[in-house]
Formats: sequence, C-alpha cells, structure tokens
Amino acid sequence: MGAVAAPKTATAGPRDAPAPKRRRRGLSFEGRLMAPALTVLALLSIFPFLYIVALSFSRVGLLGGISLEWAAFDNWTRLFSDGAVGASWLRSVVYFVATVGLEMFLGVGIALLLHEIVRGRNVLLSALLMPMFMAPVIVGLLGRFLTDSTYGLYAWVLRETGIYTGEILGGTTAAFVAVTLMDVWQWTPLITLIVLAGLASMPKSVIEASSIDGANYWSRLRHIVLPLISGVLIVALLIRSMDAIRYFDIITNTTNGGPADATKTIPIRLYETGFRFFDLGYAAAIGLSMLAVSIILANVFMNQLKRRGLAK
Amino acid sequence: MSDARGGVGKRIGVPVLLAAVTLWTVVPLLWMVMSSFKPSGDLTADPPKVGFTPTLEHYDTLLSGNNIGGYVTNSVIAAGVSTVIAVALGCLAGYGLARSRFRGKDHVAFWIISTRMAPIAAVVLPLFVIFRATDLLGTTLGLIVAYLTFNLPFAIWIMNAFFADLPPALEEAALVDGATRWQAFRRIALPLVLPGVATTAVLCLVFSWNDYAFASTFSGPDSQTLPIAASQLVTQTEIDWGQLTAIGTIVVAPMIVVGLIVRRWLVTGLTLGAVTGE
Amino acid sequence: MRPIRNQPSTLGLASGTAGMLARKGSSQVSGEESQMSGEGGALTRREMLGMLGAGGAALALGGCGGSGGARVDESAPEWRRYAGTTLNFISENTAPTAAIVANLAPFKQLTGIDVRVVQLELAALVQKVALDFAGGEGAYQVIYADPYQILAPYADALADLRQFADDDKLPGLEDPNDFFPTQMDAAGRFVDERVLALPYDAPTMIWMYRTDLFDKHAERMEQDLGFDPRPSADSTWEQFYATSKWFRDESDDVPFGHGNMAKQHDSLMNDFSNLLWAYGGDYFEDGQKVGRIGVTEPGEPLLDSPEALEAADVYRRLVEIGNPGSVGWDWTGLAEGFMAGGMAMAPLWHEFAASIEDSDIKGKVGYAPLPKGPKRRACMYGGCGIGINGTAPKAEQEAAWLFVNWATSPDIQLSNLKSETGGGTPTRASVYRVPEVKRARQPPSDLPNVLTTNAVFEAWLPENIGLRPKIAAWNECDTTMFTQLSKMLAGQQDPERTMREAKRGFVRAIDTAASLARA
Repeated sequence: MGAVAAPKTATAGPRDAPAPKRRRRGLSFEGRLMAPALTVLALLSIFPFLYIVALSFSRVGLLGGISLEWAAFDNWTRLFSDGAVGASWLRSVVYFVATVGLEMFLGVGIALLLHEIVRGRNVLLSALLMPMFMAPVIVGLLGRFLTDSTYGLYAWVLRETGIYTGEILGGTTAAFVAVTLMDVWQWTPLITLIVLAGLASMPKSVIEASSIDGANYWSRLRHIVLPLISGVLIVALLIRSMDAIRYFDIITNTTNGGPADATKTIPIRLYETGFRFFDLGYAAAIGLSMLAVSIILANVFMNQLKRRGLAK
Repeated sequence: MSDARGGVGKRIGVPVLLAAVTLWTVVPLLWMVMSSFKPSGDLTADPPKVGFTPTLEHYDTLLSGNNIGGYVTNSVIAAGVSTVIAVALGCLAGYGLARSRFRGKDHVAFWIISTRMAPIAAVVLPLFVIFRATDLLGTTLGLIVAYLTFNLPFAIWIMNAFFADLPPALEEAALVDGATRWQAFRRIALPLVLPGVATTAVLCLVFSWNDYAFASTFSGPDSQTLPIAASQLVTQTEIDWGQLTAIGTIVVAPMIVVGLIVRRWLVTGLTLGAVTGE
Repeated sequence: MRPIRNQPSTLGLASGTAGMLARKGSSQVSGEESQMSGEGGALTRREMLGMLGAGGAALALGGCGGSGGARVDESAPEWRRYAGTTLNFISENTAPTAAIVANLAPFKQLTGIDVRVVQLELAALVQKVALDFAGGEGAYQVIYADPYQILAPYADALADLRQFADDDKLPGLEDPNDFFPTQMDAAGRFVDERVLALPYDAPTMIWMYRTDLFDKHAERMEQDLGFDPRPSADSTWEQFYATSKWFRDESDDVPFGHGNMAKQHDSLMNDFSNLLWAYGGDYFEDGQKVGRIGVTEPGEPLLDSPEALEAADVYRRLVEIGNPGSVGWDWTGLAEGFMAGGMAMAPLWHEFAASIEDSDIKGKVGYAPLPKGPKRRACMYGGCGIGINGTAPKAEQEAAWLFVNWATSPDIQLSNLKSETGGGTPTRASVYRVPEVKRARQPPSDLPNVLTTNAVFEAWLPENIGLRPKIAAWNECDTTMFTQLSKMLAGQQDPERTMREAKRGFVRAIDTAASLARA
C-alpha cells in the first residue's frame, strides 16, 4: 500500500476534529480515502500496460532473464497479416454472439417464467443460480466428463436418443456447440438474476392497467414489459459481454482450441502464443488488440449507464 | 402479470418449462456430486450407472494422498487476503468516489472499470514479467497481488454504487452534530452498507477462489491452489474421475453456500451497481 | 555421432553414445540387448574443461537463483551431504512418477533429502517449466525434460550432468552403458556432447490387439483378406487397414476395427508420424539424426514430399474407417476406448499395458511392433529424461543430482516396474535380465508392462525407432502439425493442402524461434 495520507486519517480515530483551515492545500477528505486504493490500482494497471506496449514492439528473449530487443512494428504488421489470428477473431465473434445471445434469450425466458410463480420462487432461483458460483475450470472438466463418448452421461443420452452418435468434443461443430453450451449453462443464471430484478421493479399499476385492456401475454410482453426493463437488459448484456471475452478456462480445459481449430478463440491463441511458443512480443500485440476491444465495450457500457441515469 | 384468460397452456406450461430448466441446471451438478461417491468401477460404466453403493474412497485418497491440505491453505490465503485488502481499500475509495465532485471524475471512474474489464490473457503477460523482476513468481503473495488486479477495481466500483445510493443527508446531520468526516463515514455510512460490503466480499472471494488462469501461470510448488489441483488430476494414463468429481465438489460447495447467503444483494454487485435488487 | 573406441576414460569421464557418463569404466551389455549398445569413447581433459566452461556459462546466464534451500554437510558421506534439503521435482503425471512418489521413503532414508513432486499434464508441464526457466526462479530443481518440448528449446537452462557425474564429492553413475544408446541420445542430449538428462521412462508406440478376437476370427479373416491378420514381422499398414475394415464390417464383437489418438493434441502428431516415416516421408533431411541428437538449424522441412503426402492420405483413410471417437481422443481417451471394448486394435504407448492388464480386457491383449510401410517400420519413441535445473543454486543442483542418479538407477527402475501404483518400463537394459522380469514376459504376468518387452525391443532398434525432430522450435511446429492434421481429419482440407500448410507453419516457427534466440 502506498504511503499516502489516508491511512493516517484512518488510524487517527474519531477524536480527530476537522481542521480544514490549518490544512494546507492538499488532498480533500475524499481524495485521501481514494488515494491508497488508486495508488495500488495504478501500480497494478498502468505499469503493466506500459510494459505490454513495450513488449509488443520487441523481440523478447527468455532464457537467462527477460530481454527486450527493439523490433519496430514487426509484431504489429504480423498481427494484421496473420490469417490464423484473423480466423481466431472470427471464431471469437461467433462464440461471443452464440454464448451471449443464447444466455440473453434463455436468461430472459427463465426470468419471465420465475416471475410467473410466487410460491417457491426463491428456492428455485437459488437452485438455478448455482452454476455461476462454480470455478470455470471445474465446469470445463465436468463438461468433459459428461460428453466423453465412452462413459459420458450426456454422450450416452444423445447416443441412445439418436440425436448425436459421434465423439462430441471431436467434431468441429459438435465441439463448438458443446463448449458454447457449457458457457451457457454456467452464465445464463446471471442474466436470469439481473432480469428478474428488473421485472420485480416494474410498477404494478402499469401492468394491471394493460391487463384490464385485455392485451394478451405476448403483446404485453412486447409492448410493455420489455420496454420497461430495456435498461436492465442492456446492463445484463454488457456485463456478460465484458466477462465473456475475459475468461477462457472452459475451452482450455476441454478442447484447448481443437478440433481443427474450431474452438481456438482469440484468448486461447494469445495464451498459446505467449506461454507455449513463448513469443511474448507477438502475444503482447494480440493482447493489446483484445484490450482495445474490451475498452470499447467498457466505453459503451459507461455511456449506456449515463444515458439511462444508472451511473452512480 | 397473470394472463387475462388464465390459459391452461400457461398453468401447465410454466411448471413444465421450469422443471426442464431446473433439470438442465441441476443434473450436471448432481452428477458431479453423485460421481464423487461412486465406486471406481461404476464411474466409467457404460451405460452410466445411477444406482450404486456410495463410498468415501475418493475423498479418502484425496485427503490422504495428495497433500490436499496445502492446496486448500493456499486457496484460502490467496483468495481470502486478496478479498480483505480489496474490500478494505474498496470501501474507502468507493465512499470517496461517491461523495466527491471533481473534474475528471468520469475519467477516473472509467479507468477503474476498464481495469476490471481487461482480458485475463492480456493481463497475465506483463504481470508475469513484473513478478519475475520482483520475485513474486511462485509465491502466495504474488497470487494475492494478481487477484487484486480484478478484485480491487471491482470492489471500488461496487462500493461506490452502494454508497451513492445512500442519501448524504444522514451524514450531513452527523456533521452538524459535530462529528468528523471520518466519524460520519465510519459510524453512519459504513454500517448502512454492510450488506453491500458482504456482497462485495463474497463476489471477490468467488472470483479469486475460482481463478485458474492466473494460478496456472504464476503459482509455484508452494502456492498451488485448488483449481490447479483439479486440473492436475487429468493424468497421462487416466483421468481419475472419482477424485476429480470429489475435488470439484470441494471447490464448488463453499462458493455456492456463500454466494446464496448474499443472494438478495447479488444483483447490485454483479451489475456493478447498475441494477438494484428486490 | 562419431564412433569412438570403447575405452575407459582416465578422467572417469567418457564420451560417445552410451559411455558419456561412464565413471567406473564401461561394461558390455550382454544378451539380446547387446545389439543396441553403442560405442563408448574417451575425452581429453581439455575437451572436457571446454565443455564444462560452456555449461558454466549457461549456468551463469540463469542469473540469480531462487530462495536457495540446500544444506550442505561437507564432511558427510557422498549420499548424505545434502541431508535436510527439500527438492521440488516437476514431472508429467506418468505412471513411473506415480511409482516414484509412492516410493520416496527409501530415498529420504538414503540421503535425508525431502522430495516434493508436482505432477502436471504434459502441456501444462512444458509451460510451467519454461516459465520457471524464464523466471530464473529455479523453483523446480529436478525437471522431467521432455526431449522435444523442454530439452531442445531450453537446453541452455538445463545443467550439464557430466559435471556432477565427474565430481568426486558426489556419487557417480552406476554403469552408464546400461542405458539404451538410442534412449541416452534421444532423451539426454541436444546438438552437442552435453548430457542434459538421464533416460527416465520410455513409452513407445506399439500395436495392441485383442488376441481373443484375432484368434476367434483368424481363419475367416485369412480367407476373406488373403493374409494372416495376426501381427507379424511382415505386417503392413495396408493390412492393418484391411483388418480394421474387416472387423468393422464382419464382426459383431467390436463396433470398430481400430482407433486413433487423433484429437487436436500432441497425440495426433505422434500417431501420424509413425505413418509418415513408414511411407518414406520425414520432417527434415537426415531425420534420424535430427531426431536422435537434434540440430540448431534443421533446414527446409520435407513435409510436401510425395511420400509425406501419401502418408497423410493413408492416415486420413485410416482414421475414416476407425472408431469415430478417434478425433476426440488423445492417448488417454484412446486407451479408455480400447479398454471399454470400442475396437479390436490400436496403436498405443506401450506403458498403457499396466492399465490394460488391470481392466476388463486383461489377458486378452497382444503386443507387437507397429506395422511396416513401403519404406520401413517406425514406432514413435516418447521417452523422457530427468534433468537438473541450471538456474537453481549450485548446492541444490548437486542435491538434485542425487535424486536424478537414484531415480534412474537399475534398482529403482526395477522397483518402479514392480510398483503397484504405477510403474513404467525400465530404461536400464540390465533390469530386463533379472530372472523374475524375464519370466514376466509371458502371460500371466505380475509385471504387465514387461509383456510388451519383445515389441518394444524391436521398436527401439535404431532402424525401427521413430524419433521426431529435436529442434528449438518444436513446440510451435508440433502445434502446427497437429492443427493442420486435425483440419484434414475434419474434412476442411485435403492431404496436399494440409502438408503444404504444415510446411509453411514449420518454416515460420523456425524463423521465429531463430529470431527469438538471437534476441
């Protein structure tokens, strides 16, 4: 923790009377409260950021300590001409749209269902939330267990019902669908939770009025409910989106990018470039491009919050 | 929002659909827990076995042979300490941020949130090099620091949201009564957001406890955590699903419990304060 | 490999194939193994000092060490000097290491050293070791050095073991000629004379087949196919293909004839390489040398040769008729599929025999060398050595030598073989001459891995062993190879495009590695 003024205030205790006049121009009370956290955060974010920028312009030697050698724009020109990385971006976009899309669709649906019931809602909600507290690595390993063609429960069900008889994690489409569904299984509950909160906060009078009008369920849903919770939906979408590009544990622990690169999303490729091939300079360039995308998303998120008056 | 016509479709449809959703959600979890009690021979049976004589053999081997205690300790220390630091600093900074008005506040806020959003794979890279230079590789302290990269901005942000929801009038009244700013924060504001503090703590704990990417890159022989232990059970000659499901149960159960304890406030936490719960 | 006369070294240090670590003179390997023993040789003091100097420079490169926990008692006997030290051994989670873990007490008793073992999946292991080298931590003193993924790319971070073997304060190595020469070179060396690891395990791909099914159908198959389907010295991959197809179409005992480990994983490269070599293709010019000793500049990849293209095509057809699970299986998945009765035969690592003889199909499996192709028979060797982290503090390296020395000694190799919790196959020729091991070659056997002895001895012959390239860029080349093959198997590209793309990837990987090495 940085040696900043705030901790002193903290330990000075309640007897300390305010003496604003004697204090020289310096940090305000709020500033002193923020100082330690922001100092730590600066150390943890700004320095690594500068370093990754430096890496991206270097050839990085590894043995006998890290050494940087100026490589100008080599890594960057390679990034923009590398078909494999381009393919990974494309795959990431598809993966992203598939997971987040399905999660939104199912999450909203499940929230609407839960909203319909009164008795047992909380118990059921608790049960449905469980996956999102699980370590993604466990989700991946469990997914592998369930889809194993020799003894997996789900593989057996699919085989017996004739829906899919091949090796689930061995087919390009099947493997992609499988890792998508594992992510959907884990994170749909998050959307459900958020949307349910939005549904609960809808003004009752509006709903009742529309129901007297005789509007049927679907038209009420479309014209009244969804517009009412649109702010919440946007929040849910953005929160999930930002996390969706952060994590890659599930794929790492199931297919690790295969088969035929069908699940090699951009974080997997970045990790492989950095920590399997130890081409740290090139990995840094890939990493920065990912960072740019996530900053754009964060920007959209902030703007949406501000526009809807949700920013605190 | 009941259907005006109270359709039969809805009376049957809703429970059926909810049952399907519950099955979809719960079966994998149940299967994991069940498998952790299955005798080895039944684990990889084809077709999968539902009836079996429960056994504790996998927990036994796990607890006796694998130094699992070390992994648990590392997990608890790394996740626990990082959570405590993040929440403590986050409370202070969150309050400061909520009550301050300064030019560029938006930029500071954006910087905080973007730190939290940074892709893990991109963060791991420079941190590795920095940890190497500062001798933090392979230490539990290194993991604590690594977890702060996502827990600290998260804690600041959420606590800011919780404090911002608090009407300043209460603290102003205390100030009029002669309390210091610190007293107003400590005695008035903080107690009112205790649920928020608890939620923040739980979420920080869950995020760091569940981490795999940082631990697999930074941890050494003395700092391996539970998720790493789980992935190590995938061996060259076999995957010991008995032990794996057992360790999965051990990793998952406490997080589900603490997570559900703060369920009421989860929404606020998980949406970084943008949506308020029930 | 220059042939040198087999002659005890005056320095107690010999050079050459198997004699490189000879201290008490080299003894001749006898019996049927003798054909595999190579030549030992001598080395002058000057040569040796020069090499040690190079090794020293590599050590200095390692920079500062880790916390440094070795205790040295200068007055103690050679095995006891480091009592009280704790060593970290990082290993792939293989059967031999499982056996070592279960058998650490005697080592502690002998040396007073505690050994903690971290076991990881191969890819994770490679990453962790590289990170440790890069971090200069030296946190893991004893390293399971996969020759291709660790030893070649990080050779300079591994300690030259000759310095310890030659150190009078430390116990020397028991009969270095007892290691199989091909293994000593493949698992222990990179490019030059340094010895960076000692052969620790020796998984090799062989042909496993269900004797019960082959016996049952032999006659009918011979009639239908026109040859005796049972594995013999003359069996070819074409016959393997025909046999597999026959099982799939004509027999109800198993759903498919064979399976492959064709997941997008290291396993796929291993599986394919057997055919690549058998059909006369190779990765680089002078492939056997590139595989056995390794090279720094491998030259142009040969992956687009007509032979390589044919091999890719044969492999594609082979996987097509095999168990469809293949494309999702690495070696573990394939072995599980085989044990669950999913196929009649499979090319598999021979060390799986231990699991197989403990499964539902125990006693029903035969082990043979892989089939031949038009050019030769090639059985992928996947053995690894254990080496010492050159970035660790010197005293810890010396303590680590005790462990490396002990773990690869004939006694321990024998007790590993007998271990109930795992056990690989010995890397010491003498172990195979122990009477009870000899007896165990025939079923019923208490030492199931020994059932494979005839097959692996055949496989380890220099003309049969399959050695993938030992080059610094191998990790990326390997990934390129199995990724392109996986795309071929998924039907996304034909063999020609596959091998062309693979070649392109190899060239780029080698360029990148070279430029990084200069950095």
